[in-house]
Amino acid sequence: MLALQLLCNGIVTGCALGIVAVSFSLIYATTKIFHVAHAGVYTMGGYVAWSMLRHGFDAPVAFLIAILASTALGALIQGVLYARLEKRRATHLVVLIASLGTLAVIQNILASVYTANILRFDLPWGSQVFRLGGNVRLTMIQILTVVCSLAAYAGVMWFSNGTILGKQIRAVASNPFLAEITRLQPRRVHIYVMAIASALVCVPGILVPLDLGLQPYNGVTPLLTATIAMIAGGVGSITGAFVLAIVIAELQNMSLLFIPGEWSIGVTFFIFVIFMLFRPTGLFAAAR
Amino acid sequence: MDFWFSYIALASIYVLLGLSTNLLVGIAGIFSVSQAAVFGVGAYIVAFFLMNDILSFLPALGIAAICCVALNILVTLPALRVSGDYFVVTSFGIQLLATAVFTNWTGGTGGANGLPGIPPPDLVGKALESTGQVVTLCLTGMVLGCLIFWLVMRSPFGRLLRAIREDELAVAAAGKSVLRAKVSAAALAGAFAGSAGGLYATFLSFIDPSSFDLDASILLLTMVVVGGARTLAGSIIGPFLLLALPQILTLVDIPTTIAAAARQLIYGVLLITFMLFRPQGLAGEKL
Repeated sequence: MLALQLLCNGIVTGCALGIVAVSFSLIYATTKIFHVAHAGVYTMGGYVAWSMLRHGFDAPVAFLIAILASTALGALIQGVLYARLEKRRATHLVVLIASLGTLAVIQNILASVYTANILRFDLPWGSQVFRLGGNVRLTMIQILTVVCSLAAYAGVMWFSNGTILGKQIRAVASNPFLAEITRLQPRRVHIYVMAIASALVCVPGILVPLDLGLQPYNGVTPLLTATIAMIAGGVGSITGAFVLAIVIAELQNMSLLFIPGEWSIGVTFFIFVIFMLFRPTGLFAAAR
Repeated sequence: MDFWFSYIALASIYVLLGLSTNLLVGIAGIFSVSQAAVFGVGAYIVAFFLMNDILSFLPALGIAAICCVALNILVTLPALRVSGDYFVVTSFGIQLLATAVFTNWTGGTGGANGLPGIPPPDLVGKALESTGQVVTLCLTGMVLGCLIFWLVMRSPFGRLLRAIREDELAVAAAGKSVLRAKVSAAALAGAFAGSAGGLYATFLSFIDPSSFDLDASILLLTMVVVGGARTLAGSIIGPFLLLALPQILTLVDIPTTIAAAARQLIYGVLLITFMLFRPQGLAGEKL
């Protein structure tokens, strides 16, 4: 019975992680920046939502404001930081260090304003429990997480394949030079990608803390797991990132039957090492 | 006086760490946020041997250094074989994993409470009890480290590393193994970090996981970035400047609850500012 409950929990965390992985994958495939600060954007979304609820806004309005704030932050990081560095032909290493610095700034501003203590959301409707046959319990928030994540995934697939901007983004990702000479303006597209991905990552950024609470330094582990999912799924494949995130979350949850929870980072990392050694291009890698 | 002693001892330990980070990040060009983890492994190993009275200080330090070399080779080899970005993931993973081990393996590391009462270092059977002697030991360690760094950078191996930073493809075309050079640099960085860990454990006589977490790795990176990448001077200036920062902050009236966050915030701002306006740091070369 415990196994069944863990299986369901795995799907919930996996869906949320999947959206983190998909959003990171969008950025990484298009801008080639290993955007470590994405963990900061993820964390900030939850804090904005928490503050807005505190100020008496309704939940949907508060969440919308949080998503807008994340979008703005993402566009700001790209426009002010990464674009400037790119203009100066900064090396990959310099961009990475700047990104890490941004992560430190966001996390510690949050820690200074809200303290490093855990903050909990106070939403009575969220902890409503549903029973799925037998003893498997899911809260309203967990069901909402799965529904929103699947919707976000479907939205990204439609956006990426069905809209002009989505096609432009894929064009810039696959060949920036060709995109430049066909007047696609990669710099502008990069800002759009960062804004969209930051809005996306805000969805799990709000939903996961609704269940588990907020902490300023909590973004790094999900981002690490998500990047591992992205690599294992094959860089550039949205479906790969999403599916592998669910698989990794399942393995993590199932491992709880044998290994105490504080070692789950070890399980994740073990999966990464296996992939790195035996299939570094990932499972869903597109033929190049 | 005690303050100056501990400042100089800590700064010399951090210079060793700065040299290590500089070798890895500045010279070999490998982005790493797991330096503090390696530092911690060295510290815990030396603490283990000294507290259980198994070995004296120097052999323990040697074993810690060797373990850290092995750890760094094990960590860098599979990731760098594929690509640099894989190592970013690896180093984050190693750092988080190491923090989990330091915090949760209560039998070996004392868990979150840390290990108190690590005996002072001893040389040729004589314990160094006075602060002055320990400070001298740390300074000697720093000078030795700087000498080794300087000699390595002048050697053919050092020139090979510089060449890789200029043009990796040309080096590969000249028949040199880029992967082997990078992994060797990482191994040497491991030896520096491991020895620094041993000195740190015996100097403070107390270690806990908070000295070896992700924030500590970010501090090490900030030291190298501020001091300047790829030079000996940079690796010395950075630690001395940044270790003075907490003292300066005590002059400003910040509530103690957010002091740690404020410090980390400053490191983050320094990282961004230097990358935007002066990537070579105060006394370094092009990063």
